[in-house]
Formats: sequence, structure tokens, C-alpha cells
Amino acid sequence: MKMPRISGFLAWGYAALLVIPFYYLVISSLKENDDIFTNPLSLPSTWDFGNYREAISSAELVPAVANSVIVTGLALALTLLLAVPAAFALSRATGRAGRLVEATFSLGFLIPTFAALFPTFLLAAFTGLFHTRTFLVFLLPATAMPLAVIILTQFMRTIPRELEEAASMDGASTLTILRHVHLPICVPGIATVVLLCFLSFWNEYLYSLIIIGPDPAQRTIQVALPTLQLTTGTDYGVLMAGTVFTLLPVFAVYAVTQRQMQKALVSGAVKG
Amino acid sequence: MTIQAPRVSTPPVLDHRSQTHSALRERFPGLALPGLIWYAIFTIGPVIAMFVIAFLRWPGMLVEPTFAGFDNFVDVFNDPVFWDAVRNSATQILIGLPLMILLAFSLAFYVVRKPRGHQVLRFTLFIPALISAPATALMFYSLLNPDGLVNGVLGALGFDDGRAWLADPATALPSLIVIDLWAGIGYSAVLLASRMDSVDEEIVQAAQVDGAGNARLAWGIYWPIAKDFIGVVAMLQFLSILFSSAQNVLLLTKGGPGTETTTLSYLIYQKAFVDADLGYSQAVGIVLFVIGLLGMFCIRRLLRASY
Repeated sequence: MKMPRISGFLAWGYAALLVIPFYYLVISSLKENDDIFTNPLSLPSTWDFGNYREAISSAELVPAVANSVIVTGLALALTLLLAVPAAFALSRATGRAGRLVEATFSLGFLIPTFAALFPTFLLAAFTGLFHTRTFLVFLLPATAMPLAVIILTQFMRTIPRELEEAASMDGASTLTILRHVHLPICVPGIATVVLLCFLSFWNEYLYSLIIIGPDPAQRTIQVALPTLQLTTGTDYGVLMAGTVFTLLPVFAVYAVTQRQMQKALVSGAVKG
Repeated sequence: MTIQAPRVSTPPVLDHRSQTHSALRERFPGLALPGLIWYAIFTIGPVIAMFVIAFLRWPGMLVEPTFAGFDNFVDVFNDPVFWDAVRNSATQILIGLPLMILLAFSLAFYVVRKPRGHQVLRFTLFIPALISAPATALMFYSLLNPDGLVNGVLGALGFDDGRAWLADPATALPSLIVIDLWAGIGYSAVLLASRMDSVDEEIVQAAQVDGAGNARLAWGIYWPIAKDFIGVVAMLQFLSILFSSAQNVLLLTKGGPGTETTTLSYLIYQKAFVDADLGYSQAVGIVLFVIGLLGMFCIRRLLRASY
């Protein structure tokens, strides 16, 4: 059908506004300041990765990436360890208690926990885990719990009770049923949860900043990146090189999992 | 209940155990407890603590807090900076949110009509949802600096006045709103499109036969059908603007120039971690918490399903 020209213009204009900054980001990361200012959109005259070396060494990005990998990986594992059994139990529970617990998790979406930034910081100090990655590994799964539990519960509800009864008649224990009946069927749901949590854990900034603090041995990539503003001042080439470096893992995952990631992002919001 | 292990096929001991297990399980979903407790400790706990700290006089971590009653709230409501923050947050939301939702809806409408290249468009629209606040902020930091791309393009068009967008009182807050829009429109649009994809093609064709143009189609069919879902997306973006504005402010303007970009969520951060006025900070936390709940309630009322 015929679309009005103006909406097409707006749509593609917006798409251009999304893409051009990345183009600018990448080419600027290979240039010197003068070149960035005088020829903002032209390709660099030489391919110089000096800005990357500078960004990586001055913000200590290598240990920061390692820390981000550790925090994201462990937090993901913990999220699944807590959410899968919880969803399993809620999908099978028939009583009032089950409904109450499920309602608690659903309400979790509506609680603006950000307002409690400072008490979370106090909790870290209180548990002696202040200025460590460890506290973040504990905290992040809690923030993801409502979404993970609700998504997984919905998947597990689709499993017919008969299947489970048959397994239990064959003498399978609860855990065996969870492992061999529910988990295989829930793989798409788990993939959704993993992708969503990967994004939100990898990208988490404010909590990491206040809890982990400035220690280069502990801080994550998102906390390390903005320090470039201070250490390199207004050397925009270095700043952009650091930013590109930080974005690479996320874009790599998006390139590989496109459809899955899009589905995850949509269903994550819909459940919320 | 329904799960009864037959006595003949399994050893009696196992049978007995699995029966008590299933009986217990029906009464309480025990395996959900670890997740629930974890969630309570790390997210509900701090929210409750916030309500306690707001009533304490606590000028710094190393000082013993004392009970303050409503003093913190009196301080907050008498502080002109707080009212600046209210004004800034209100501006950010009342201008940013409706614009974001309307533009996202138009974009979603364009995408679901499947014009040429709509798949490329969908792929692109997800991009801002993937990148972190620091990366977005640094990107705009370099785009908006006096020698950045924005002034470069304006200069090529003959409008360059070397404006420092983020440091100029006239453009600092609008710049932050533009960043919200940049980041929020695409994601909102794909969410809305996912719902609008399910609109029955027959209804659309029938309407077209009756001579309905695109505007009629969008506002007469798609909007009402997607209305409750638009409400959900609006709530999502409302919370995101209200709360995560602190990150952009922290990374780009530190609340300045003056208090031009001090939003409520940044004020909480600033009072807690810069000025060490903990009671004040948490009193603002409660105000923000209540605004969050009220805002969601209003959006829900405004965009209720109407069919």
C-alpha cells in the first residue's frame, strides 16, 4: 500500500540518527582531535590504532573487561540458580501461598527501587562487601528476579501435568523431573532470561559506581570507561576508542543472536 | 491431590517420601523461597530502610544518626534546589514522554505496514536498547561538544555559533531530553510494533475499502487496539526517564549549569554521595518513590483499554 512520504521520511531519518553517531564514533576513534574537528564525517587518512592503545592503558580497560565478565557471568549463574527452581515451584503450586509469592514478584516491577540507591550502599557496607565485585554479584540477580521468575513460570506452565505425573510414577524425584522434563522444554525461556540479564548486568552503571568504587582491580568496564573523561581530558579520539571498545562485546552478541535478542527484548518488556 | 505414586511399582520408602513431598509442595512452593528471600533482602530491604533513614538526622556516614521526625521533609520542601529539581524532572517527563510515545507510535505504524526495508529498520531500532548509559553519554558528550559533529553540521549549514550545548543554560536540559528521545523512541517503537503486528489484516482492509486513509487507520484502528499496551510502554519509559536520568546528568552535566539539569533522581545521588546529607537524600527518595507510583497510576488511567 502507499505510505505517506512524510512518515517514511521520519522513520528513515530517525534510523539515520541512530546509525550516524556510531559511524562518527568509529571513525573518530582512529583520528587525532584536529582531524575530528575539521573533517567530522570523512574517513581517517591513516588507520592509527594509537587511540585504542591509549584508552586501554589509561583507563585500565583490560582488567575492567575481566571484572565485567566475572560479575556478569557469576550473576547470571546465580540468577538462574535462584529463578529456575522458583519458577518450577510456582508453576506447580496450586495453593494461595503460590499465588501470593507470584504476585509479590509481579509487583516487583512496580517498585521503583532506584530511589533506594543509598540504603543498598549501606547494605554493602554493613555486609563488609563494600568496594568489592562480590556484592554486585549478589545484588544484580535480586534486581533481575521478578522478570526472570515471571518469564520462566509462564514457560513452565505450558508443560502438561500428565508428563510430570508419568515421570513421578516412574519414581523420578522432584529434582529429576525439573532437570529432565522442565529444563529441556524451558530452553527458549532460559535463553530469553540469559540475554536480558546479560544486557542489563553488562550495562549496569550506577550501582557498580557507588558500590565498587574507583579501584581499578575491582571496577567493571562501565565504571572504567567514563574515567577517560578525567584522565584524557578532551582527547575525543581516545574517548571514542574506549567507547567502541566497550560496545564491541554487546554488538558481537547482538550480531550472533539477532532474532533471539530482539524476541528477548520485546518479551522482557511485555512481561513487565 | 492428583499426584499419587502407585504403591505397587515403587519401593515403599521412596513412595512415602515422595508423597509427603508432593503434599508439602501443594501447600507451599518451597523452592521459590531462596529466590524470594534473595529478592527481599536486596531490593525490598533497602526500600524499607529508605523510609526509616528519611526520618533520621544523619549528616554523614561516620556520624551517629538521631531521630529527626519530619525535619528532613521540612528542609526538602523549603529548599529552592528541590523545587528546581521538581521543575526539571517535570519538564523532562511532560515534554519528553508524550513526544516519545507519539513518535514511537507513528514509527511503529510505519513499520507494521511493512514498507520496503522494514526489517533493516527493525534491526536498527533496537540499537539504543543495547548500549550502556556511559557509552551513550560519552557518545553525546563528543557529539555535543563545541567542536563536535552537531556544531560541525550546523556550521556547514551556516548556523555555527560554537555553542557548548551541555554547558549552556538554554540548551542543557533540552539536550538531555533529546538524548532520552534518541534512546527511547526506537525501543518503544519495536515494542509497540510487536503488539500492532497482531492487528487483523481483514479489519485493516475493510477500513481501506471504506476509504480510510493512513491517519484514520492509525488513530481509528491501531491506536485503540494497542492502547492498553501503549500504556505499558509509557509506564516503562516514564520510570526510565524519571530514574535513570541520574546517570546521564552525572556523566554529562553534574546537574549544572547552576541547577539547570538537577533532576530529582540526581538530587538523591548528589545529596547522598557528594554532600553526605543522608536524611535529606532519602526524604527526596520517598518523594520520588511516590511520584513514580502516582505517575504510573495516572498513565494507567489515561491509557486504559477502551474497547
